[in-house]
Amino acid sequence: MRAPRLLILLLLCGSCAARGEAPQVQFLLLPSAEAVGTFARDALVTQPYDEVLRADMILSLQRGPFRLFTEYLLSDHEGDLERFQLGYQFSSDTVLWLGRFHQPTSVWNHDHHHGQYLQTSITRPAIEEWEDLGGILPQHFTGALLETSRPLASGWRLRMAGSGGLAPQLNPGGLEPFDLVHPDHHRRQLGYHARLSLHPGDLDESGFGVLLAREDLARIGPPAASILGLDHVQLSLYGVFASYVEDPWRLLAVLFHADARLFFDATPSRGDSFALGYTQAERRFGHDLTAFVRLEGTAQAADSRYLGLFPAYPRSRQLAGVRWDFAPRQAFTLQLTNSHTFTGHFADVRVQWSAALL
Amino acid sequence: MIARRIIVLLLLLGALAEAWPAAQTLVLVVRRDSPVTDLDSVTVRKLFLGVPVLINGTPLRPIRNRSEPHLDEIFLQQIVAMSQPSYDRQILNGVNRQGWLAPSEAASVTRVAAELNANPNAVSFMWERDVAHNPNLRVLRVLWSD
Repeated sequence: MRAPRLLILLLLCGSCAARGEAPQVQFLLLPSAEAVGTFARDALVTQPYDEVLRADMILSLQRGPFRLFTEYLLSDHEGDLERFQLGYQFSSDTVLWLGRFHQPTSVWNHDHHHGQYLQTSITRPAIEEWEDLGGILPQHFTGALLETSRPLASGWRLRMAGSGGLAPQLNPGGLEPFDLVHPDHHRRQLGYHARLSLHPGDLDESGFGVLLAREDLARIGPPAASILGLDHVQLSLYGVFASYVEDPWRLLAVLFHADARLFFDATPSRGDSFALGYTQAERRFGHDLTAFVRLEGTAQAADSRYLGLFPAYPRSRQLAGVRWDFAPRQAFTLQLTNSHTFTGHFADVRVQWSAALL
Repeated sequence: MIARRIIVLLLLLGALAEAWPAAQTLVLVVRRDSPVTDLDSVTVRKLFLGVPVLINGTPLRPIRNRSEPHLDEIFLQQIVAMSQPSYDRQILNGVNRQGWLAPSEAASVTRVAAELNANPNAVSFMWERDVAHNPNLRVLRVLWSD
């Protein structure tokens, strides 16, 4: 039923565009190839795939103030419509989106999305990982997203984003967001997000801000023994972040406090709290080389029943690497990682080629 | 005798003027009937970085004039104020994060003029001498002068 609705929406959009001048079109292809070798391993689960070929395709159409923005990720393991957003540009600073989007409280994903070339490290921080790769926090929502910014005194800028929509489900394999191409009819609950940040300039990447999220995750499918009778999880996130970008440095730090309340069919609800965060430093050197290090950590992870639902989650991780931009819009990256999950420890070495074709 | 000297002097001045390169002025241009009346330097920078700039609810369309290598230097130094790699990253980030449209590029003055003529919301930059002979174009402001 929902697939025909999507089709109708596309046709409406198409007919709208056909009435006047042709829409302006922008296409961006972000291909990448990656290989991983794991060693010093005593963890039961390490990473889902050892080799990955990806093609991240971004298509943007604009006609007057109306916009259509899509991102489709095709890999040797999956093909997903990651973002599908219909937008209205109220002004140069304000746009309203309807559709499937990346929630705005993920600082990393808000900056990089799925394209590998535009992030320096090969992997993203574990707390920002996508749902289908073992992510513990919901990333894809289907609903409405408002993004705006306002000038402040002394040239500073206040950027704001707020969103609400259908939250991912919690199933035995982890979190599963709503799929626009293959919609299901299972029970879904809602999630809301807010992000406020201050930046010293109009387009400045340096800045700091606060992140707030409240998400209800409905449980679907047979429950694991540890969560017998679980109905849904209510997740509240309170975060802060700061970034400093001034050539040759790029620094980022993100910290979240999370309250997770697990609601059961028959027994009273149970709550737990934990803190998670990461910090990454990058420095550019001569010969188009960039070195990077990142530390990731989780406090009170062992006591959390919510985090216990994700046994492969790396509760702590350290990584370092180097990226070589050997040609315009092409890079080669080498990364070493040391991870501690709930079930053990492992280390890995990764190599990646990534590119951007505009 | 004096008249002859004056004539020689005038001829010399004329020859000097021929040899001396004319002052170059880069101007921001739109189609003559464009709704755009003025754009400040901050807005021009945002426009050529791919940020949506709306006039009467309609986004402007930037056209990067790449007809001469010298224009690339002025564009990076005076209009967007960043290096080519930083500019490239800014454009890619804009498309990836927000679906912003990268400025279109024109490899010749004829092409720039054609794109401006085709779209009243198009904005580009040209040498003033190239605009002077085109009655369909209107100068918004001077961007750079040597």
